[in-house]
Amino acid sequence: MSLLKINYLKCHYLTDINTVRAVDGISFEIEEGEILGIVGESGSGKTTVALGIMGLLPENTAISGEILYRDEVISSLPESGMDRFRWKDIAIVFQNGLDVMNPVMKVGVQVTEPMIKHLDISPENARSKCADLFRTVGLDPKWMDSYPHQLSGGMRQRVLLAMALSCDPKLLILDEVTSALDAFTRKEIRDLLVDLQKKNGYTMLMISHDITFVSSVASRIAVMYSGRVVETGPVRDILVSPRHPYTRGLVHSTPDIFVYKDLWGIPGDVPAGDEFKGCSFSPRCTQKIDICNKASPVLMPVGGGREIACHRGGIAGLLEAKNLSFRYLLPNGEYLKAVDNVNLEVMEGEVLAVVGQTGSGKSTLAHILANVIRPECGEVLFMDGNVSGGNYGNRVNGVQIVFQDPFSSTSNRFTVLDAIKEPLYINKIGSNGDRLQMVKNALELVRLPTTDNFLGKYCGELSGGQRQRVALARAMVMEPKLLIADEITSALDVSTSANVLRLLKGLQNRRGFSMIYISHDLSLTLKIADRIAVMNSGKIVEMGNSHDVMLSPSDEYTKRLVGSRIGLCCHNH
Amino acid sequence: MVKDRNSFIFRFLSTLFVILAINFFLPRMMPGDPFSTTSADEVGEEIIVMTEEQRLYYMNYYGLDRPLYEQFLVYMKNLITGDLGRSIYYKMPVSDVIMLHLPWTMLIVVGAIVISTISGVVLGTLSAMNRKKGSDRIMMTGMIAFAEIPSFLLGLILLLIFSAYLRLFPLAGAITPFANYNGPAEQAWDILCHAFLPVVTLSLSQLTGVYLLTRNTLITVTTKDYIRTARAKGLGEKTVWIRHALRNALLPVVTRTGFMIGIMMGGVVLVESVFSYPGIGMTLRSAVVGRDYPLIQGILLIIAVSILICNLLVDKIYGKLDPRVVI
Repeated sequence: MSLLKINYLKCHYLTDINTVRAVDGISFEIEEGEILGIVGESGSGKTTVALGIMGLLPENTAISGEILYRDEVISSLPESGMDRFRWKDIAIVFQNGLDVMNPVMKVGVQVTEPMIKHLDISPENARSKCADLFRTVGLDPKWMDSYPHQLSGGMRQRVLLAMALSCDPKLLILDEVTSALDAFTRKEIRDLLVDLQKKNGYTMLMISHDITFVSSVASRIAVMYSGRVVETGPVRDILVSPRHPYTRGLVHSTPDIFVYKDLWGIPGDVPAGDEFKGCSFSPRCTQKIDICNKASPVLMPVGGGREIACHRGGIAGLLEAKNLSFRYLLPNGEYLKAVDNVNLEVMEGEVLAVVGQTGSGKSTLAHILANVIRPECGEVLFMDGNVSGGNYGNRVNGVQIVFQDPFSSTSNRFTVLDAIKEPLYINKIGSNGDRLQMVKNALELVRLPTTDNFLGKYCGELSGGQRQRVALARAMVMEPKLLIADEITSALDVSTSANVLRLLKGLQNRRGFSMIYISHDLSLTLKIADRIAVMNSGKIVEMGNSHDVMLSPSDEYTKRLVGSRIGLCCHNH
Repeated sequence: MVKDRNSFIFRFLSTLFVILAINFFLPRMMPGDPFSTTSADEVGEEIIVMTEEQRLYYMNYYGLDRPLYEQFLVYMKNLITGDLGRSIYYKMPVSDVIMLHLPWTMLIVVGAIVISTISGVVLGTLSAMNRKKGSDRIMMTGMIAFAEIPSFLLGLILLLIFSAYLRLFPLAGAITPFANYNGPAEQAWDILCHAFLPVVTLSLSQLTGVYLLTRNTLITVTTKDYIRTARAKGLGEKTVWIRHALRNALLPVVTRTGFMIGIMMGGVVLVESVFSYPGIGMTLRSAVVGRDYPLIQGILLIIAVSILICNLLVDKIYGKLDPRVVI
């Protein structure tokens, strides 16, 4: 028997003009002694779930589905019936706000109040118990006689916690308890919660947008998006290998997890209005297919205690390379193994960086993946078709590559317009008028001017940064699903390369294509990569999440690569 | 803290000075003077028309022929020694006249404040608790319609119904003239009967304000997070409403009650006239008609000072009620 069970709960806020589907059919269970975390961005319906369990939703809420506490339905109880469960069985720690406690009542009184009501003890006993609680949560009992406005945010949060613990509840709901706190207080509250759970075995439902905080306390996580659960599973698994595109976006936008990477949020917004029948994440998803706009997916078990709601079964693979090998014939008749039995996989919407020193075979690998050269053995599969036969470079939504040196990859004698239009012209895509518009769109994407003057300029007249962006525009005009960027910034100065890199990552984030970013510059790749593959003499020696590779490299070569960064004089590496 | 107090005293005194100046100059800006009254206020009153010679004599006797600034200085000087001057009409010290009439006004004003505040808060709470239900709508519509009736008209209607037709209450005065009481209980009863209708009239004129303020503040307060917290603690609806919601909603009501004194002092002139109640309002009215400058000044001063004191008290009480406010 689970302590709390929620069956297909729906909470719709009815206003005069529309209906807001805050919670849209979610189900979960909490076992006794378990800590379940619910994460999701603001507006995903997390707090509504908490208030729904407490029976505190406003009057204009239409609730359907069931909430069971110890197999007793509590979702349809009247106020007085709900009071039987409140605080003694289920208590909630609210998010700290200025108004969360009665401003004209001393905090001590507010903590003792429920004890006197539910535990049937005298005010004196309640007061001494309150003092104990204050000590438990790390507050001096002298603060009992102060008013809420006299306490700091952290202290108020502690009082709220003491208040919730006062009647020894079986289930403790924590609603965004740390979101307004500084790092120190946040950690103290975390330690306190872990401690309390160890000592008293509280069952907790922890609700927060702070995935780091939740994952440090909870054992299981449910990710909510737009009123639905999109993924659940054990904490560690969700963090290390998120399966739903939204979960991945959430994990990737968390600075505590990706320490070095620049922050990029998930672009786009939740679809507004209740006409939309499809998967609510589809407008922001990089891998949507037809069905995503028509029906919303249901949560399905995928093994390992994980469940996921996605028509494509989670993040889909985009490109897979199997046993790739390539040798160059040297003048002395010997062979140089440039690529030696390489296997790799690129997922939808992912940035994979291939890092290694010059001559490690990175560019050869890139050229094989882009079908510029053919491998001696092995195969490359792109969206389940073979790259060598599929001509993916000639198609819209295929594979495009941008080369290292813009001065040789774009012809001096081509105008900007011609250079970018060329792939459209060769592949007979669009009419002439359409092509001009497509070129202008591509130029806008890479933040170059679209004036006739600029379009008529010869590539030879442009600066290095501009020219690399023209090369990028030439790739973007084909709207690739996979972009291979081969050392595209190494020919540029620091500032220009920073601009191009941010532009590229911004494009990737907005348009949602996958990218293989090839570079010898570890520091630079850490800024944009989700995963890193380290290459040495034709082999991939290590592959993993970029922070893992950076913080705890396992291969000798990777360690050397990480260690070989030249620090500034003031840093001791 | 000391600096705060000093600035407070300075503000209080400067406000008082401005009021005093207005009190002094305003009556003198009205046409006429105490000795050229030509119309009698009440039927049967003797009209005394003075000759120009007599008028000038009295003007000189009361110092009214001197320049205004000189009169003002004398007035201020006397005021500092506690002398409010002599009433021209009553021929006795203004302070004595005021002391004679003030208690009656105090009786009905305090009575009206207590009654209107308590009933307004109770009705407002009931209304807020039944928000969006029929009873709230009916009560609110009724109250707002009721508030549109001017207090003197209301007084007249009450007087006609309860005194003239039903003969439940006396028609005029504060006590039965020439009555012999058998003990203080009977005297008190007589006073209460006379005060009843004026108090009710004054209360009703203020009731809607208190009612609406209580109702609307309560509705705002119940949307606050701390009400949700209180409800989450399973304290029961009664505790949530009274301990948590009403306690917070009463804060603006307290402020309003303080300001009500000022509004009532204005209203009391009309209400006392309707009921011929011998309070300070009636006295002020006759003083204005008779251009009894010292009496007008004295009464206005008393009213102004009582309003100032009430505001001061409200500030102090508010500081006690709301711990967030530091005075």
